[in-house]
Amino acid sequence: MDHDQAVRQKATERYLLNELDPGLRDEFEEHLFDCQDCALDVRAAAMFVEQSKTVLAEPSVTPVRVPFPAKTTAKVRWMGWLRPVFAVPVLALLTIVGYQNLITLPRMTQAMGKPQLLPSVMVNVSTRGTEVPEVTARKGGAFVVYVRIPPQAGYSQYTAALYNPENKLEWSLPIPMNAGQDTYLVEVPAANRQSGKYTLNIQGVTATGQSTPVGFPAAFEVKMEN
Amino acid sequence: MQFQSFDESYVERLRAGDFRTQEHFVAYFSELLQLKLRSRLHSPQAIEDVRQETFARVLAALRGGKIRQPERLGAYVNSMCNNVLLEHYRSSQRDSSIEDEEDQDFPAATVDVIGALAAKQMEGKVREILEELSERDRRVLREVFLEERDKDDVCRDFGVDRDYLRVLLHRAKQSFKALYLKNMSARPPGVVAAGRH
Repeated sequence: MDHDQAVRQKATERYLLNELDPGLRDEFEEHLFDCQDCALDVRAAAMFVEQSKTVLAEPSVTPVRVPFPAKTTAKVRWMGWLRPVFAVPVLALLTIVGYQNLITLPRMTQAMGKPQLLPSVMVNVSTRGTEVPEVTARKGGAFVVYVRIPPQAGYSQYTAALYNPENKLEWSLPIPMNAGQDTYLVEVPAANRQSGKYTLNIQGVTATGQSTPVGFPAAFEVKMEN
Repeated sequence: MQFQSFDESYVERLRAGDFRTQEHFVAYFSELLQLKLRSRLHSPQAIEDVRQETFARVLAALRGGKIRQPERLGAYVNSMCNNVLLEHYRSSQRDSSIEDEEDQDFPAATVDVIGALAAKQMEGKVREILEELSERDRRVLREVFLEERDKDDVCRDFGVDRDYLRVLLHRAKQSFKALYLKNMSARPPGVVAAGRH
């Protein structure tokens, strides 16, 4: 493959998307290692993809655009607020707010005020053990994962990504790296979670944003009980 | 990373053990090796082993005068990596021809303040590029790269084809590349993310 062919075929993008068949992939790599332009292209694209993962993992708040009401010359009578189109949703909102303030929040405050022992499990990313540690948590309750990451040189932080039993990503969490620290406490928040095998993948992130897997994926079994 | 020509002079400096040249060599090819190997090996340890072994053998070949075409140094590194990979796949004994040589480690590059600032700038640029995309395009990228879903499934769910995905990545990369190039050129050789120790 020569340079023109690589550019024409969008080989960089195909390479990073794993779309090249083995033969074409080998041809592109042979060109890539000799062509500084293509090497730069691939490195830039790979850096973009790595940085995107960090940005896209952040929860996003989409502003809800509320149309600005048009000016009206008609006089709105105060009695107009009692029309069902306004009254019903307002009453529903008042009922919900009232229930939360009078019932739910006091219960939550009472519960939060009480110290509680969260179930926990310990995983070690530097070992690929055959035994999968277990944690039993209350249905809808939180639990803690102690993650042992042997100190690594060259990283400014870690990223922990939790995959559920269906191998779907639940969340991704940046972990600032502390010199000399090898165990990090990750609180897995309360959620309507199913029992099964969860996996925590740790990536080391350098100051330039490049991330590489650290250790082995850490699996643990979660048992939810009522 | 500054552009360097892989020519006779470069190879000579590498052979002579020039520190800066060796730093550049390892940093430059580490990124490419990392990209090459991660699609073939799943274990980070295996990737690191193959990377180290590739460098060890290339430098041994340099010292033995076996690299006859300096301008094809890159192709030689790629070819050596392919050989090491083949051996890895066959799970055969590692070539002990370099056992007599002092074991050399090819460490990750240094992290410095300039790198951290550049990383911040690049993250900002990526954020800007993503914000300019439609919500659909952002979700497509999220599901392909972050959630690593099957690309055909993602394309089907969002009503796009694979070419759309390639063009999406291409445009984003082009927007990002200018800043990336600027930051890479400003950085001294060796100060780059080059993988783990």
